[in-house]
Amino acid sequence: MHRDSRVKWAFLLPAALWVLCFTIFPLVYGLRLSFFRVKIGEPDEFVGFENFVQFFQDERGLQSAAVTLIFVLSGVTVQMALGMCLALLFNRDMPLRGLLRTVLTMPLFATPIAVGFLFVTIFYEEGGLINGLLRWDVPWLSHPHWALVSVILVDIWQWTPFCFLIFLAALQGVSEDYYEAGRLETKSGWMLFRHVTFPLLQPTIVLVLLLRITEAFKVFDIPYTLTSGGPGSATQVLSMYAYRVGMRFFHFGYASSISLILFLLVLVTVSFMFKQIRQTYS
Amino acid sequence: MNSLCLRTVILCLVVVLSIAGGCGRSSGPDSEEEAGGVVEYKHVTWHDDGSLDLTTFEDGEIIGLSKEDIGTLFGPGKTPFAGQRIAVAVTSQGPKGGISGPLYRLRPAWEELTGAKLDIVEVPMADLLNKTITDLRFGGGQFDGIIQGAWFMGEYITPGFIIPIDTYVQDPRFPHWDPGWLPTPLKSIHAWGGKQYGVMNDSDGQVLYWRNDILTNTAWRSAFKEETGKDLPFPVKTWQDVTEIARFFHGKNWDENDPEPDSGVVMHFRVNEQGMFHFMSLSAAFTVLGGEKVDRGTNNYWFDPDTMEPLINQPGHIRALETLYELSQYGPRAQSSWDLGTAWDWFLRGKSIFVFSWGDVGSLVQDVSRSSIKGKIGASILPGSYDVYDMNANAWVNVDEPNVVGNTVGGSWHGVITSTSESPEAVYSLYALMATQPVSLWNVNRGWTGVDPGARIHFTPPQGSADLQGYLDAGWDESDLTFYLKAYRDNFYAKTMLPYLRINGAEEYWRALDQNLSETMIGRLEPQEALLRTAREWNTITDRRGREAQLKQYQESIGYDLLPHAPR
Amino acid sequence: MSFIMTKKKVKPLAFWALALLAAAAFFLPFYWAISLSIRNPKEAFTVTGLAVPFLQYQPTLSNWQTELATGETQRALLNSSIIAAGAALLAVLLGAPAAYAIARFRFRRPSNEGLTLWFLSQRVLPPVATAIPFFMMMRFLHLLDTRTALIILNATFSLPFIVVILRQAFLDLPIELEEAALVDGAGHMDIFFRISMRLAAPSLAAAVLIVIAFSWNEFLFALMIGTLHAKVIPVHMAGAVDTRGIQFWFVAVRTLLSMLPPVILALLAQRYIVRGLTFGAVKG
Repeated sequence: MHRDSRVKWAFLLPAALWVLCFTIFPLVYGLRLSFFRVKIGEPDEFVGFENFVQFFQDERGLQSAAVTLIFVLSGVTVQMALGMCLALLFNRDMPLRGLLRTVLTMPLFATPIAVGFLFVTIFYEEGGLINGLLRWDVPWLSHPHWALVSVILVDIWQWTPFCFLIFLAALQGVSEDYYEAGRLETKSGWMLFRHVTFPLLQPTIVLVLLLRITEAFKVFDIPYTLTSGGPGSATQVLSMYAYRVGMRFFHFGYASSISLILFLLVLVTVSFMFKQIRQTYS
Repeated sequence: MNSLCLRTVILCLVVVLSIAGGCGRSSGPDSEEEAGGVVEYKHVTWHDDGSLDLTTFEDGEIIGLSKEDIGTLFGPGKTPFAGQRIAVAVTSQGPKGGISGPLYRLRPAWEELTGAKLDIVEVPMADLLNKTITDLRFGGGQFDGIIQGAWFMGEYITPGFIIPIDTYVQDPRFPHWDPGWLPTPLKSIHAWGGKQYGVMNDSDGQVLYWRNDILTNTAWRSAFKEETGKDLPFPVKTWQDVTEIARFFHGKNWDENDPEPDSGVVMHFRVNEQGMFHFMSLSAAFTVLGGEKVDRGTNNYWFDPDTMEPLINQPGHIRALETLYELSQYGPRAQSSWDLGTAWDWFLRGKSIFVFSWGDVGSLVQDVSRSSIKGKIGASILPGSYDVYDMNANAWVNVDEPNVVGNTVGGSWHGVITSTSESPEAVYSLYALMATQPVSLWNVNRGWTGVDPGARIHFTPPQGSADLQGYLDAGWDESDLTFYLKAYRDNFYAKTMLPYLRINGAEEYWRALDQNLSETMIGRLEPQEALLRTAREWNTITDRRGREAQLKQYQESIGYDLLPHAPR
Repeated sequence: MSFIMTKKKVKPLAFWALALLAAAAFFLPFYWAISLSIRNPKEAFTVTGLAVPFLQYQPTLSNWQTELATGETQRALLNSSIIAAGAALLAVLLGAPAAYAIARFRFRRPSNEGLTLWFLSQRVLPPVATAIPFFMMMRFLHLLDTRTALIILNATFSLPFIVVILRQAFLDLPIELEEAALVDGAGHMDIFFRISMRLAAPSLAAAVLIVIAFSWNEFLFALMIGTLHAKVIPVHMAGAVDTRGIQFWFVAVRTLLSMLPPVILALLAQRYIVRGLTFGAVKG
């Protein structure tokens, strides 16, 4: 299937060189920084692996890792399932199709920073949109467990459109022939999905899964503005912890090491997933 | 042209027009380019006797300065800083918001007086410190001046990021302001190690506000007596009084603004924001004993000045947290996630008897687009406690009069000059202009500027020299104003003050406290456990930053002398 | 036969109703933002439930007037638009050929898989780790506080989207067309531009939209590098928090204003994705 020709370098190199050029220094610098203790106003102090060890003894750090994990697992699953359902729903002719699809992609363009603030008013517990409309008394933001639910809900609202968009584009690339052939075998919509659509879309599903997981582990804006990591540190995700350690307390070295730990964890997970999928294919 | 093209064109036009609608506005952060050459006075009017009138940007209000106010550097036709361009970093609140607003209002006048240009660099408040530190540490050189919060000083001082301004303050060339206008506790947060670094601007501290109309109402007073068997303890003297009143009113619909039940108190406890200031200001009464000196148990709160041992989990502090927690039960459950504005909104809408917070509350009460309770409030310095924990004797003492302690918690946003600035004198002239008596009073009169009263020139006689009329003209209700000014006067001139933590890493210490407080407020941690954890985290922080260096800085910042009765 | 006919009549309506419901659910927060923006600040929290204007409160345009008068939002919009457009353009110019290379050619020493993973890994590192070095780099290049700096940064970090999404799209394309063209003597560049890119148009549209969305919403680097002249929407949003707390009404106004350019773009792209339906169909 794959050709070989020297022209492949002409296609690849511009992007590769660009990325190398702009990320080599930051990566090396970040790596170096993680082995130092930085104090503003004093020379950096080499501390070896101390920063990394510190993280595994840091209660708040480990807690933020746990919060992030819960967030990623629950959020990404729901987003993808919902995104797929919506893509299937919208993959047909219907009145106002363009408008409805646009509305469905709008949350993606709402700045997450603003979304967090906006949802503070939506989740306002003494009235507001939800508690006021449904006459519930849910402690959306003032109870540690509910706060995490709120953050996940907002994330689902914002990122389901992402999955929807990619799944829809992929569905529209599927030739009608496959469906025709499938309909000869079965009339059931679910069977058609399971045996025709899903297999054809598997690469795309993997793609979306990979992209969403890499982004979800880095989540920052929504917990930052919706709950500020609270109450307590119930919604303080790893990325936010690293940010506060680096940008509020100016422990640049430690923040760097936390980021690197996250980087390695996600990279290992993603590579593993990637290899598994390649194996199932070939 | 098909419909798609037409639609595209129309949409593009809409976008372009709406964007263009905003360009060409002169209220931008950038200063406009001048035609060059002769100074055109549009915002300054010089008089023959050397005095002048400043006109503010957009509103066109006039502020009159005397010859003594303005100094000798400025004069008709003089442009002492011609050709210079300075950038001042400030919290992003826009041309009509607090702290940054006054800069916009005075910019055109200042530019005409100096011949220089001012870029107002608005930075989101939470990131003002880190953006400036990054710039200063990594050689960005983008800022000439910073309107800093008081706790920034510890981070700027050691690496030498800001410069002392003593020579400028004493220089008669510059607009005149006197650090002596500020009461000692406020004055000291503008200085470090005996040197002046900041120019007077805003003065922050928490006072107690209440619904005076309800608490002086005889029907409610009898209802209280009936339900509790005691007289309404008003005016409140201790935090216990506050709690009793809050408990009585919580859950009843005592306010006619809406049919929903109201609260006794409201606090802003959203984590990683300003929740810990509530604890600091309340706990002062239980923990800070006044006196003539400064040592572990006198005029001290944070650390042992000999060993840097955290004092945050001393019995006084624990008792205070228990009191705070109990009080919080008489506020809305959601307040543990409420930010400043949301919590204040609850009070401003009339749904809480008490709130203890900054001067912005008082001025927001006057704004009818935000408040339904104008003219109905009272205010005073925070209540005290009959029991105080003596950290020298390691025992509780019972005092005859409630131990009332003032505080300066908060930002007290004021200007400092960076060491990378090439135009320090120009920057100083801007700050000094804003600190002159007429301009400072103009700012303080108008609550929207975010500049709250703290100096002698802001208070009315006999303590100060300000005229009540200035405030009234700006829209203050007289009853509210009287309470407000007295509360802040009492607060800043109190005999005993809560010391301000300004050392390196102050924010880190505060955040450790804040997170544990947040968990206490939602009932996940007992007060004693929460403060014990805080103490442990503080020790880790101190060790990581270097115990010796931290200790030295702490001693300097509180004015600790090993000699008793030494002047501070 | 007739049974199938009736089924076909009911289904479309039910699906359409569901679609409407879904769209309404996703739109609800925007409706709330609109309502919040035309309310008095005092009513930000008093109006509960569905917040029907005129019924539950008197709408006012004062928040809009105040916000638009300062020009800050318009400036941020302009900056964000330029940066997003620039980053998208750059990312496509660099990334599309790279995606094609990885999809269609064999690489040995860095394997195809390895290359994909490498590009993807650019998105894994949390920005805080590289914020300071990027600040230093931009200072060195004298690009601090410029839109150029942010275009470069956003292009760099959006490349992975283009590469990964387009690679999949190219892999999905039937190889026969390209092989036939090769046999006819067409060059690789020709095939790339004339055949592959056109066939992958829907995915390209989706990828560009995503790149624009990410550049539009990127916060940390914009905060660190943009100061005065390169202030963008997310930083402007964060600025709605000040010494008096979160100014929700301004957040609402800014959110709605900042949605304008991307939503218009999405509306246009919708038609393109739909048009793409007729491509990519290979019979047999």
